Amino acid sequence: MPLTVIAILCLQTVQAPPAAPAPALTARDSAFHVLNRLAYGPRAGEADSLAKAGVMRWIDQQLDPDHVPDPGLAEREKQFKILDYNRSDLAGRYRDAVRERQRMQREGRDTPDSIVMRSPGPMRELRDLGGELQQLAVVRAAVSERQLREVMVDFWTNHFNVFVGKGQDRFLLPSYIEETIRPHALGRFEDLLIATARSPAMLFYLDNAQSVAPGSMPPQRRPPPITFGPFGRPRFGGDPFGRRFGMNDADRQRQRQRQPTGINENYARELMELHTLGVDGGYTQQDVINVARVFTGWSIESPERGSGFVFRDWAHDRGNKIVLGQTFKDAGEDEGIRLLKFLANQRATMHHVSAKLCTRFVADDPPDGCIDAAVAAWQKTNGDIRAVLRAIFTSPDFWAPQAFQTKVKTPLEFVVSAVRAAGVDPDTTPRLAGLVARLGEPLYQQPAPTGYAETEEHWVNSGALLARMNAAMVIARECSSVQPLPDHARLVEAINQQLLGGTMSAHTRDVILEQIVDISDPMQARAMAVGLALGGPDFQKQ
Amino acid sequence: MTISRRVFVKAGGLALVSLGLDPLFLARAAFAAAPRPGSPTTRPILVCLFQRGAVDGLNMIVPHGERTYYDDRPRIAIPATDVVDLDGHFGLHPGLASLKELWDNKSLAAIHAIGSPDSTRSHFDAQDYMESGTPGVKSTADGWVNRYCQHDREHADTPFRAVGFGPQLPRILAGSAPSLAIDDLQAFGIRAPQDAARDRLTRAFEELYEGAGTGLLASSSQEGFEAVQLLKRANPMQYRPEHGADYPPGRLGKTLLEIAQLIKADVGLEIAFADCSGWDTHVNQGSSDGQLAARLKELGLALAAFNRDLGDRMRNVVLLTMSEFGRTIRENGNSGTDHGHATAMLVLGGPVNGGRVLGRWPGLAMEQRFEGRDVAVTTDFRDLFGEILARHLGATDLSAVFPGFSLDPGKFVGAIRS
Repeated sequence: MPLTVIAILCLQTVQAPPAAPAPALTARDSAFHVLNRLAYGPRAGEADSLAKAGVMRWIDQQLDPDHVPDPGLAEREKQFKILDYNRSDLAGRYRDAVRERQRMQREGRDTPDSIVMRSPGPMRELRDLGGELQQLAVVRAAVSERQLREVMVDFWTNHFNVFVGKGQDRFLLPSYIEETIRPHALGRFEDLLIATARSPAMLFYLDNAQSVAPGSMPPQRRPPPITFGPFGRPRFGGDPFGRRFGMNDADRQRQRQRQPTGINENYARELMELHTLGVDGGYTQQDVINVARVFTGWSIESPERGSGFVFRDWAHDRGNKIVLGQTFKDAGEDEGIRLLKFLANQRATMHHVSAKLCTRFVADDPPDGCIDAAVAAWQKTNGDIRAVLRAIFTSPDFWAPQAFQTKVKTPLEFVVSAVRAAGVDPDTTPRLAGLVARLGEPLYQQPAPTGYAETEEHWVNSGALLARMNAAMVIARECSSVQPLPDHARLVEAINQQLLGGTMSAHTRDVILEQIVDISDPMQARAMAVGLALGGPDFQKQ
Repeated sequence: MTISRRVFVKAGGLALVSLGLDPLFLARAAFAAAPRPGSPTTRPILVCLFQRGAVDGLNMIVPHGERTYYDDRPRIAIPATDVVDLDGHFGLHPGLASLKELWDNKSLAAIHAIGSPDSTRSHFDAQDYMESGTPGVKSTADGWVNRYCQHDREHADTPFRAVGFGPQLPRILAGSAPSLAIDDLQAFGIRAPQDAARDRLTRAFEELYEGAGTGLLASSSQEGFEAVQLLKRANPMQYRPEHGADYPPGRLGKTLLEIAQLIKADVGLEIAFADCSGWDTHVNQGSSDGQLAARLKELGLALAAFNRDLGDRMRNVVLLTMSEFGRTIRENGNSGTDHGHATAMLVLGGPVNGGRVLGRWPGLAMEQRFEGRDVAVTTDFRDLFGEILARHLGATDLSAVFPGFSLDPGKFVGAIRS
């Protein structure tokens, strides 16, 4: 790929975009563009300093996040209790919450959730932790110096979506984010794919945990150890939520009927359709079935044992399986690993994932050029995500003027970029995450395995836009990045430079000036002007 | 109007901005030709109510003529003396007694043994399938109501066409056709402490977005401000239910009252969607009284109030209840019921072929059950939803709404009068 090499060399020496079809972006516009796409928008003054220091150098640093110091975030993370709990701790808390709910039902106090949630107790605690989990994502996006990594964490969280509201995923999601997604966000695609396949959160979400070879039976159960629950009542081991307490014959029969009796295709299908090959990736229903057979036995330990990954040998289908013409002979757990590596390196996978990355970074309908560049880098490096990203960031399509300020921000991007631009200091309360939710993107709460969409038609509608305007006014009240200048013309120009990178349209400027003309209090004028700027059309784009 | 207003606004915006004319003003003028708030339209309306948590269809529409029902539910069956009999075989739970009048005047029907062909007993999966309209297929990105709106563009002339009541857009409304989530009708629009400040801020944003050019941002924001204006004219703060309708306290009553308001405001509502929860009765479900009875009583009172409040307007309204699955025939060890298969749904309104229990009753004998424990599904939920879309809303092609499912009018249960 000599062209790419030349482009990189060229960029590193002159620190300006390559000679793309003219007119090229100015150095400042380039910095603004990069901060909008590779980061969650510029903080006040950041576009200028980046233009001076060199855009490509910054991109290189962002691609190597371990060498970017981030003490501010480390300090902030200490305030989040959710990071102190491991999967078992959270499983215990979930169990307590379920018990509380059952107790209330037994006592005939099954009141609507809103009332329960207001009184202290395990249910309330679990809900508060859920709020922290969402807010943590917003805070990291807002304050981390490793911006590209946060962007990629969000990208992969959606690519490998897990819905936090499905049963055990309520407590499995934090470790999914911390241990599965974050460490691999800028690593190799293959490793990330394997990590998600083995994660309890995904195994539960897409039902692979209960996929067993037809006719297979668990080995004879030993009598469960008796433990003592609250109030000294005996409880039986292996029962996550106390449901088997007081089991009668009918219950036991029901339990047997609930034993999974065959393969479950959900994970197999989404693995190929969404995670790897793409919907037109050339696989058949028979391939789906055979992939499901490969993953029989990939399951989760009981919550008492920590809800970790387990391979259940007894549930594994021992026959040969053919997937996309390739035979996978019986090799137990290793079969699945081999299949994942095989899928990760299919041409269709490279294209599908590269096109999604280009949709995120370049345009809603990305040109072929950047996708081809990404695929070539993928092929050359065996799926090194950093190399793939570098190829996108150095492709002419990324720097084309038609890519500049033309993508509508997602709700998360809108809220976080507004917070960064206005210099708002986010706290641990789920306030900002609540704003993101109100704009239509409650984090981790997308039920469909597609994850949240990247393109504007999913985010721009009349109700959501009104909500963005309201959110902008809320954020503007805490603005600290613009001085409350008494001279309105100077105030609006400062907002243009600090918040909009100099892209404010003449129309926007006129409307804001007209709206604040009779506001004499500088603080109020600033709040109004900043709110209109953040809620107006210019700031919706990146 | 033969041209949809949405198309008109977009085309008008494109053509007239360059002449310095105000496209929003023209849009309003165009809309003035449509019926004004307060004058009833004849547009058919569908209201969907999702009973999340899987309602026990057997205790909602009680098969009191079945011996097995009483044998399998010694503690939670509704005694025959308490059941509000409908046809000698089925009856209403006494909590729903307020609906008997609607049954008698033939505007209420029940569909029994309805559900999904997918056997999942997971709330999440089953709700997902009922909202995506594609049982067994998880990756469907949009909901069936949205697909109907995408497909049928004839009514796409108002931001209030499809409204979900709640803080977020529900799955069933998700997709590329515009739809609105309204958490609180009175707070819809730009928020500010006083009316004057709110009007001013609304005008300011409206002006800002007039500079947004022509794309989706421009057209969607125009629709948003139109919606705010329409609603302001309808004046929801002043709303009083009519005909002595008395909505029960709580979220469900408030939501149905807001839906009635929006219908009467004549802002072009075609499909409204709302949730009501609390149906997952694993423990102490109760019988004629108790947990489920309390929920059903609230539901019955809310539906009766909604019907009374709308009065003559119910001529064009169909209200449909749905739930992801039913519950086990046999009660469990905790005087509750576990996740089952088929359940019952209600349809209410002027166009309804009421006064009967529709669908084929499979019976409760062991060999008639699904997997030996649950009520078998004899009506695919898509056959009912499809019938309502086709015969009530006038949808012409349902293959895009329920992909992979061939709808056969021969399988319609006859919920809508033809």
